[in-house]
Amino acid sequence: MKALRKYVDKIKPHFEKGGKFEAFHSTFEAFETFLFVPDKVTTSGSHIRDPLDMKRTMIVVVVALVPAMLFGMWNIGYQHFLALGEQVSLGQAFWFGFLKMLPIIVVSYGVGLGLEFLFAQLRGHEVNEGFLVTGFLIPLIVPVDIPLWMLALAVAFAVIIGKEVFGGTGMNIFNPALTARAFLFFAYPAWMSGDQVWVAGLKHGLQAVDGFSGATPLAEAAAGKIDQLPSVWHMFLGTIPGSIGETSVLAILIGAFILIYTGIGSWKIMLSAFTGGLVMGLILNLFAANPYMEIPAWEQLFMGGFAFGMVFMATDPVTSSQTETGKWIYGFLVGIMAILIRVLNPAYPEGVMLAILLMNVFAPLIDHYVVEANIKRRLKRAKVSVQ
Amino acid sequence: MAHLFDIFIKSIFIDNMVFAYFLGMCSFLAVSKTVKTSVGLGVAVIFVMTITVPVDYLLENYLLKAGALSWLGPQFADLNLDFLSFIIFIAVIASMVQLVEMIIEKYSPTLYTSLGIFLPLIAVNCAILGGSLFMQERDYQTVWEATSFGLGSGIGWFLAIVGMAAIREKIRYSNVPKPLKGLGITFIVTGLMGIAFMSFMGIKL
Repeated sequence: MKALRKYVDKIKPHFEKGGKFEAFHSTFEAFETFLFVPDKVTTSGSHIRDPLDMKRTMIVVVVALVPAMLFGMWNIGYQHFLALGEQVSLGQAFWFGFLKMLPIIVVSYGVGLGLEFLFAQLRGHEVNEGFLVTGFLIPLIVPVDIPLWMLALAVAFAVIIGKEVFGGTGMNIFNPALTARAFLFFAYPAWMSGDQVWVAGLKHGLQAVDGFSGATPLAEAAAGKIDQLPSVWHMFLGTIPGSIGETSVLAILIGAFILIYTGIGSWKIMLSAFTGGLVMGLILNLFAANPYMEIPAWEQLFMGGFAFGMVFMATDPVTSSQTETGKWIYGFLVGIMAILIRVLNPAYPEGVMLAILLMNVFAPLIDHYVVEANIKRRLKRAKVSVQ
Repeated sequence: MAHLFDIFIKSIFIDNMVFAYFLGMCSFLAVSKTVKTSVGLGVAVIFVMTITVPVDYLLENYLLKAGALSWLGPQFADLNLDFLSFIIFIAVIASMVQLVEMIIEKYSPTLYTSLGIFLPLIAVNCAILGGSLFMQERDYQTVWEATSFGLGSGIGWFLAIVGMAAIREKIRYSNVPKPLKGLGITFIVTGLMGIAFMSFMGIKL
């Protein structure tokens, strides 16, 4: 480690202003801060620099995502061999999933980081670390058989239109990973919905054994086959078809624990989002106009991408509400909308993606009014003290 | 009653004037710089739409539609003044806008100046004329349906412009690439907001 530090220090002057490779300063800095915690200290005043910079923050999120990813890999293999009707060992299933998933991750990171570096060089800002998380989220929220060129296109769309045009990480209005997914969903619906896409191979003509449908629980519920839903225990463990990382509530809860314990993810948003989902579920239970609405409210929380979206996407510190009161409102509305769209809108089997995007639109407005209310309250107090 | 509520919700979210039909874009893009002014304009649009759509409904049904004049006497039963609907709708809208303008000028001069030319231009805001024309096309049965449609469409437009204004306030200090500054980024945001609003499309009420 020390030798590396020395080497980095040695080549550093070349990248400073006036050095040989001045043009590649942002690239160099990206790698330096990736390897080491920045050693900047304040020179005057009483400012404190927290070594927990953006890179460290993002890495924690990536770590929190690892359980969901590992489970997703195994589940790819498990579902595939289940469809074939073969019995395989845990290792075989995992290896199959690993090979399926690796190209998706490579494409996601390759395209995204490539564009990110390109923009950093062209526009002369630092390489933003935000893509570390986005690039990791995208593979987890797409179906396993997604063609790689579509994925590359979606990642490019998300990075350029969703983020870079706003000025890069921290400036975007919409969650880039969800922008990528929405792009795929509306541009290539045949690859993003239906019963064929969620299990590796089905779309390419793999003949499934009798009794294997490959439909996600949400699709079954929307089709009215409530009695064919997998048990809650299966949905909790995640041995069901679905987007790669979204199926296992257990793995997501581990991630949520990491996020909350380290203080990176907002527990307020998570809590209020789950409450919102539960409340909406209960309201629907009350009406119970069709079998879908009669599904117990708490069961809704285990289905589809609800847990994944609420833990990893709704808590995005950039696109969610910034104010503390706003976070409660924002999370609650996300939860409500997600269940509402899922159950009441026949056009979409799942509502989490669009619910979060919709609330991303209104998050600045929520913040605006929370701040306004605060100003008003304080003005009132000021008047009293004047008298 | 439930039926009226359905129309109301539908016109706010599902058939949102801005994101489903992309109507009223000019003032939507031009006045959405700050939340305060956009709230002012949004309320003005709600007011104008809630009045003009039912008024136009009555005119349509008792004056313009084929056979609408039959209440005057049997000799008018086959009269069709449909070709006048555009000009009459616009006239109603323009007079309503005139009224709003006078009210705002009297009670909120600051809002009046910050809205500037866009206040009288509500008269040609396509969302408002669009409201009346949709009312005609969709054949609402009672004046109450027309009213709830007008109110809902106005609120939908209000939500859109206020949400947009909050976003624009937030990205004011963002490092947006130079060619996209101002209207460019606003167009992109509008498109992305449209994607988000697609969450309602397909809901049947």
